[in-house]
Amino acid sequence: MRDKTHMEQVERWAEFIRNKPQKEWRPKFNEFIDAQFEIAKRFRENMEKTEEGREALKKVIEWRKTR
Amino acid sequence: MNFERRIGDRNVLDKFTEDFCGIVERYAKYIIVLGFVAISTGRSRSTEDIDMILEKIPKDKFIELHNSLDKAGFECMQSSKAEDVFSYLNHGDNVRYTRKENKMFPPEMDIHFVKDELDELQLRERQKIEASGLDVWFSSVEFNIAFKEELLKSDKDMEDATHLRKMFYKGLSEEKINKIKAMIEMLRRKR
Repeated sequence: MRDKTHMEQVERWAEFIRNKPQKEWRPKFNEFIDAQFEIAKRFRENMEKTEEGREALKKVIEWRKTR
Repeated sequence: MNFERRIGDRNVLDKFTEDFCGIVERYAKYIIVLGFVAISTGRSRSTEDIDMILEKIPKDKFIELHNSLDKAGFECMQSSKAEDVFSYLNHGDNVRYTRKENKMFPPEMDIHFVKDELDELQLRERQKIEASGLDVWFSSVEFNIAFKEELLKSDKDMEDATHLRKMFYKGLSEEKINKIKAMIEMLRRKR
């Protein structure tokens, strides 16, 4: 269970964006969302550079298909 | 609330969802549900998958849909054969699509056919959510709050529900949320 400060931050953030123009928070928010996928892509590309990495990726994909 | 948003304001999840839904829209009714409803309205967390409920469509129509998705650069993780994918859906299983260029890495669209009256009702009451700035169909905010508070209940879900309550505090119907919770209790928790 997360402590209550986490939920308080969720509430503060929602109140903040509810009252602000999107241009004030949306660009940073989008950077935050996009970063997860950029990091994952970079990781995958690095893994693809080696035989060992490619084998590991195959296993990850097989796991992802069946989960 | 300030809803103005332009095409250039899309993030990876927004683009993926709009591209995918733009194709599905041509073949079937659908709704986006759960986490992405909160995220598309500014909840500051990410996700790997976006959840979609699709109306039940005949096999031949689904094959057309699958082929259109394929043409547009999406692939199904469970099978590349439309007949197989339809079979999974028709048996009540979920299937997931990703962009081919991502080589089966996220984001992914997690889809299932309508399963019960709750899904049917969500589909009938689908809405576009102005605050998301996206041209896609969502299940109502009330449905999403009810599912997260009554059925799912993880920390993440309770935070999503709180986010939605804060964002949409003016137009929410508590009566409707409670009715949906009662339906969840009857149809989902006693399974």
